[in-house]
Amino acid sequence: MSGPDGNKSSHTELSSQVFFDLVDSVIADVASECHRVARLGLDRDLEVVEEELRFSVEARAKVADPSNNLETNTKFVVDIFGQTHPPVASEVFNCMNCGRQIVAGRFAPHLEKCMGKGRKARAKATRSTTAAAQNRNSRRSPNPRYSAYPNSVSENQLASGSPGVACEDCTVRENVKGG
Amino acid sequence: MKHSVNRPPTPDEDDAAEGFEKDELTLREIINVKLVESGEKENLMELVRDRLVECGWKDEMRIACREHVKKKGRKDVTVDELIRVITPKGRASVPDSVKAELLNRIQNFIVSAAL
Repeated sequence: MSGPDGNKSSHTELSSQVFFDLVDSVIADVASECHRVARLGLDRDLEVVEEELRFSVEARAKVADPSNNLETNTKFVVDIFGQTHPPVASEVFNCMNCGRQIVAGRFAPHLEKCMGKGRKARAKATRSTTAAAQNRNSRRSPNPRYSAYPNSVSENQLASGSPGVACEDCTVRENVKGG
Repeated sequence: MKHSVNRPPTPDEDDAAEGFEKDELTLREIINVKLVESGEKENLMELVRDRLVECGWKDEMRIACREHVKKKGRKDVTVDELIRVITPKGRASVPDSVKAELLNRIQNFIVSAAL
């Protein structure tokens, strides 16, 4: 490697070698990264990716199709997690008052009637005056006596309120409404 | 004194007959050392990476890797295998502009390092 020419050619070759060393490093990085993604399944398996592609195509078709839209989206919108907006409370549990099975989303209106606090519920509830009298009477008596009624009580009728404070409240309200 | 201090020098360096070839190797090593010490290697690496990402080369390599993974199956693949698979293609597909730029810089460095 003597003389300028010799230097130049060796320089070129040397540069080349250094350059390819650098490229090899980058290649190793890429390979390592891809290997990691592959082994950890971060790329979400090629099968899954294809499946999702299919899903997204189907979803697009659904969205594009106007008839579908009308049927499914009248009340709520479903987001990507499957949650509905506005949220629909669909859990069923037992009302602690009357012991009936109530859908969570209908619990508030049920309580209104169940505990006799609603306006309309009170007004509509009593199909007959006797029923109304019974309501007022049994309000002062303990629960068990009245608990037989809930079964026959329709949605519009009242069930007895719980004794104690709630009863008094009901009474007060009753009076306020002018009977 | 420890034995390591009195350890005879490695035969390679002592062997005069292979001087010229060894000089080349050593030269390359010297350059490497100088590159690292001056921080130029770091700069070059960053430059190479940036250029190769910009021109889409890295994406091509990743696609090639995924193809291979698809063929071989996710669990069987090794890093060495991936490197082996993409290196020839990788080396060949570096854009000329990138190569020229890098070679230029490296040569300048070698010259300025007075080798």
